[in-house]
Amino acid sequence: MTTAPVATGVRRVSLRDAAGAAGGRRPPSPGRRRPEGATASEVGRARRKAVGIGLGFLAPAAAFYLLFVILPWLHSIQISFYDWDGVGEGTWAGLRNYAKVFSEPALVDALTNAVGFILFYTVVPVLLGLILAQIIAARRRRGEGVLRTILFLPQILPLVAVGTVFRYLYGQDGPINQVLTWIGLGGAKRAWLGDFSTAYVAVGIVGTWVTTGLCTVLMLAGIQKIDPELYEAARLDGAGKAAEFRYITAPGLRREVVVASMITMVSALASFDVVYATTMGGPGSVTMVPGVMIYQLVFMANRVGVACALATVLSAFTLCLVAALNRLGRER
Amino acid sequence: MRHIRVMTPVALVAAAALAACAPSGGPNNKGSGDPSGGPTGVATDIGDEPVTLKLMSTPESGESTLKAIEAFKSVKPNNTNEYDQTNYEDYNNSLNLALASDTAPDIVLLNAVGVTVKNGLVKDLSQYAQAYGWEDAVPANQLAQWRVAADGATLGEGPLYASPAGFSLVGVYYNKALARQVGIDPLPTTIDEFKAALSKARDAGVLPLQLGNGEGHASFPVQLIGQAVDGPASHVPWVYGHAGATFDTPGNRQGLDMLAEWARDGYLPDGANGADLQGAVNNFIQGKGLFFVDGAWDAAKIADGLGDDAGFFAFPGATGIGTSVAYGISSASKNPDAAAAFLDFMQTAAAGRFQYEQGFMPVDASAITETTGVKADLLRAWNQVGEADGLVGFNNNATATMNDTLMRTTQEIIGGRLDTDGAIAQIQADWQETHGA
Repeated sequence: MTTAPVATGVRRVSLRDAAGAAGGRRPPSPGRRRPEGATASEVGRARRKAVGIGLGFLAPAAAFYLLFVILPWLHSIQISFYDWDGVGEGTWAGLRNYAKVFSEPALVDALTNAVGFILFYTVVPVLLGLILAQIIAARRRRGEGVLRTILFLPQILPLVAVGTVFRYLYGQDGPINQVLTWIGLGGAKRAWLGDFSTAYVAVGIVGTWVTTGLCTVLMLAGIQKIDPELYEAARLDGAGKAAEFRYITAPGLRREVVVASMITMVSALASFDVVYATTMGGPGSVTMVPGVMIYQLVFMANRVGVACALATVLSAFTLCLVAALNRLGRER
Repeated sequence: MRHIRVMTPVALVAAAALAACAPSGGPNNKGSGDPSGGPTGVATDIGDEPVTLKLMSTPESGESTLKAIEAFKSVKPNNTNEYDQTNYEDYNNSLNLALASDTAPDIVLLNAVGVTVKNGLVKDLSQYAQAYGWEDAVPANQLAQWRVAADGATLGEGPLYASPAGFSLVGVYYNKALARQVGIDPLPTTIDEFKAALSKARDAGVLPLQLGNGEGHASFPVQLIGQAVDGPASHVPWVYGHAGATFDTPGNRQGLDMLAEWARDGYLPDGANGADLQGAVNNFIQGKGLFFVDGAWDAAKIADGLGDDAGFFAFPGATGIGTSVAYGISSASKNPDAAAAFLDFMQTAAAGRFQYEQGFMPVDASAITETTGVKADLLRAWNQVGEADGLVGFNNNATATMNDTLMRTTQEIIGGRLDTDGAIAQIQADWQETHGA
């Protein structure tokens, strides 16, 4: 009972795309299947034509991607080898900027903080998502669609708005402290985002709040593709809810877990909005992340070269993590 | 980005038509400078050719500038100024790119000079200053912060790059009702009296100091204590980045020590590190805090909120932190003479009135007649600090990253994570990075 059952017809389209991208499986393309009665050369011509049309459709998007993603990315890698204030002439710096990324405490802190946020953005939400999805899917209820919408809501809110609301919630006179005072825990009252011991966790919880819904919805969709007969068989064998989760749901959702981890890990490492809107990296620098650091380096410190080096290191690290996850999703 | 267009050119023309009957826009109110021109290559006579100038500013200083634009229409009807504003942070982030672009504005608000001047994006205004007599109208120490040496980082010497239209001052707001309750009369004029007043407030169960340090505004009282103890003049070289200056002074040490003491002994509001400046202003308006160290820019809000109970005085020792709302002319401007004429107009008594209304000190205060209220208190404090030669620029502007460094270190001091030695080392290290030998 360790291998996941292969999906049968009930999977949702969006999920198939996501899982396909993650697992390397592609949906069948129109050029693959040989029409009945066609000769090999006809097929060859048709295939070439299809490829031509395909490229034609691809071209506009590819051009935009090249122009607005690939080239700026390469440009920022180029800048990372220069000392540049963003306006004047840059001077060649070699690997000096990279040395700074790994030696300046502020930059190293930002990187380690971002890695730490993976716990709040990825690990906790994926676990919560698994459990919530199992609970929700256990029995068909009315209003399931509404529930899914509500769960997904944090994902469609602008993160700056989320951050601003949480700043209010966490404030010295905010609702959280008011509730604490009500129930007689006034002693624990504090400015959650301004306190050195709580700020990091407080910001992390915002991340958990944002990504848990996405994870749950992904898991829910995944659960629906698991063959119900497996559950039935398990129940006949006397398995409890916990065993069902352990031996059927969790292994059956491996691909979904990988997709959810990938998306949320990228948002943890690239986080900017939430930190910017809540703490600006403070107090001190306990919540500083590379996103905010890069912004400050470029626009306030005018150290564009160092900022680009940090961005390059961050994107290389992110790519490595994604690649590793990808392998994990494909194996077995 | 978030770009707020306050007035379209069409609306501006309409407003300009109305400006003819505006009460304060007269052509003969010039109270400063000498418009007759000097012996230089720049012209103060801008002729009658229609000229359209583009001006960029921020909402903090926008209102008064807009009024000045309207009023200027009646002085030079052929001169059209298009006004554009962006919020403070985005403005600073995008200014250099705007100046370097093909559609550069003519007149820009300058909040800092560093990269802008270093890359030659704004004009040297020395000749205009001479032609219009700005050096007579504006106190020398106020013009000094817009002088930049050839290295692009040292201030206070070299050519002039901006013309002040108004000034800001950081001092102490106080709640008169709480001062009466605690029994503080007269207001403190020395550091010891200030400390005594704080203790008295705390003993009476009144929060001594309102503070929001989420954005690092604890650096204001630290700087002011430093200046009061060391003497303001000795702090100027550090702010201007003169070689060999150090932050490690008895006054700065005392300022940082006191901040730590205040945090430890309950002189500051709980959660000060989690509140931003506007949060602190709101708390102060709600009667939380006897004193509040803040700048002139919040005068209108505090006056509205506290009414007759709002007051302001210069920090003990008659010292202050201040800068000017100053405008520069783009190097790409095709009409620098017309731009300079408008900059000169902003120094007049008529334009000074608009500055005063927005909470800034005017260059020419002769049109200000009020004697009561927070703004009048501010003007009094401004004059007092001016007479004592007690004004110093913001420590926060000493380097491009100093604001962040001061924010981080003061937050850590309030949080008990850093001592005075550590803070001074970090602050001086930041300074060395830019100005070091």
